[in-house]
Amino acid sequence: MPRRPNISRQTRALLAALLDRYQVWRHGYELSKETGLRSGTLYPLLMRLNEQGLLESRWQESERPGLPPRHVYRLTASGQALAQEQEAAASATGRAGALA
Amino acid sequence: MTAARTGRWRRLAVRLVQYAAWFLPGAQSPWGDAMRRELDYITGDPAALRWALGCVLASCKARWTDRSWFSTRLAWRYAATSGVLTLLIGVALQENASGQTGPLRPQFDETACDVPNVSPDIQPRLHCGTVSVPRNYDNPAAGRFKLAVVIAKSEQQPALPEPVVYINGGPGSPLTIYAGYQARNPYAEGRDLILVDQRGIGRSEPGLCPDLGSKLLEADLAVAQSPSEAARSSRRAVYLACRDEAIDHGLDLRDFGTTVTVEDFEWVRRALGIARWNVYGESYGTTVAMTLVARHPDTVRAAVLDSLYPPDPIFRRSSKVAEARDAFFASCGRDDACAAAFPNLAGIYRETLDRLGPHPLTVAVPPSMHRPDDQVLLTASLFEVLVGRLIYYPTAYPSLPRLIAAVHDGDTKGLAAIFASELMQARELNRAAEVAVECRDRPGYRHPPAEGANPPDQVDSYGICDDWSELGPAPVIPIDTAVPILVLAGQFDPVAGPSLSREVTGRMGGNARWIEFPLIGHNVRHFSPCGAKIAADFIDNPPQALDTSCADRVAPIHFLTRQQTP
Repeated sequence: MPRRPNISRQTRALLAALLDRYQVWRHGYELSKETGLRSGTLYPLLMRLNEQGLLESRWQESERPGLPPRHVYRLTASGQALAQEQEAAASATGRAGALA
Repeated sequence: MTAARTGRWRRLAVRLVQYAAWFLPGAQSPWGDAMRRELDYITGDPAALRWALGCVLASCKARWTDRSWFSTRLAWRYAATSGVLTLLIGVALQENASGQTGPLRPQFDETACDVPNVSPDIQPRLHCGTVSVPRNYDNPAAGRFKLAVVIAKSEQQPALPEPVVYINGGPGSPLTIYAGYQARNPYAEGRDLILVDQRGIGRSEPGLCPDLGSKLLEADLAVAQSPSEAARSSRRAVYLACRDEAIDHGLDLRDFGTTVTVEDFEWVRRALGIARWNVYGESYGTTVAMTLVARHPDTVRAAVLDSLYPPDPIFRRSSKVAEARDAFFASCGRDDACAAAFPNLAGIYRETLDRLGPHPLTVAVPPSMHRPDDQVLLTASLFEVLVGRLIYYPTAYPSLPRLIAAVHDGDTKGLAAIFASELMQARELNRAAEVAVECRDRPGYRHPPAEGANPPDQVDSYGICDDWSELGPAPVIPIDTAVPILVLAGQFDPVAGPSLSREVTGRMGGNARWIEFPLIGHNVRHFSPCGAKIAADFIDNPPQALDTSCADRVAPIHFLTRQQTP
């Protein structure tokens, strides 16, 4: 059974980054740079959000010929709802959504 | 940080991510691919290594999450231990894996010769082996390819000090499997002969979609028959599937092209301990040879360029084919027997195209072509492509006017053997290696054929390259080179006719000589004993004045009339 979202500080940062441009497919390294999350933290979060149906993923052709396709991610509708909920909660308590 | 050290860290990062992908639970394997591929986009080596280490940690976390009976504390220990172990294994393999220790050095590793069709008298003269070359000369950590190399020792021993390296055409044609034939037909007396399968071709690594040629048969035929957008799209899809397959196998399509091939030859030269060599380039091999002379002039004693294939910009293929075809038709007009049997051959040819347009003919083809009912529909565009192909070969010239006239009259029997021959050649050429090289070399292939382009352009690589790989460093002409050069040009060469060939030779300066061979197409030496002799004389003593009179004493073409049989 999928686990319930574990809303850690890192998860909130990732949700905020994904919500920021929720229509755009994002790749791992870009998310890592934007959130400050290292790959060792980022990928387990992505895997978990994906497992919980909050994140969708697909392979995207590289814009640079000769390079392999990349795995890209964006929030599902449920993921967007959760991210907005977290953002609202963070605003209510005066905390930044993104990782400081 | 030095370049070598930088490369080592990158290689370690690649290995760590590979281990991370391997370590993930099976259901999570797409995430392993995601981590591996992301690494290709990280440019700095420290960043790549940090990324890779994180991926190992991520895999360990995923692994212990998968094992629910572990307590959190135990799981963290498991993760940490696994991470450290994986790191140590990665480092150990990095340092000790077979052939991966330290920087790669040029070295010939001799192996048993498994070359086919070698007679007992030639066999003892062949020395076979491999030379490992860097995939990417700017990034030694990117790995290596093993190239197949054969040394055919001269009958005369001790041989003269500077051997001949023969660089064959294509790009995409195998060479070392023909070592027996090559050894029997030396390019110069008393000199050893070096044969190399260029990267991705023949018995050299990497295996690059080896069956693409067979897969393209259908698509090529469809485009040649009717160059519609749908036919071109289907053909393009076959190429792109190959591209994806190559990338899935971990290949970087930027690791191809004439410039890197030139460095391969230079690496092989060093591996064989050769101070200088004579270079014989043929067809696409002239592209490599010219670039080799330009980049490494001190290592080349002399170069023969047989049937030039100059770097871009060159005119579209169809214009060169038309030029050669018109010259051939004109030669028929000047021959009494041909002119009598086929008055106005050019007119007959045009009429044939006009007739085939609305009324294509059926050609019976060999079962090996796997065509429905063993038949092919001969359209005007397919016929134009076939005639363009036949202009390459002087052996086809005597019967070509008769063939055109026969098709004009609705008789296609003579085409079956031509289809069979084309099929054999199509299967031999590695089309993936061809496009991998051409797409790196030639900006002209970036753009699709123009609306209404002639059929020879439609079946060429135009429009494939934008999606294949980035444009690489261009091959070059050795302008005003000090290296003695001899250029052999066939009168009916449909790749670079005499005028273009002569113009390119002029740019190479006063040490470059140019000889035209009447009634010859592409690959002069193969079809002209005179050309072979002149080339051998030149290699024997490059500065000497050459006796080229045999080129003008060529026997006329014995054209077959409508009644004659060959």
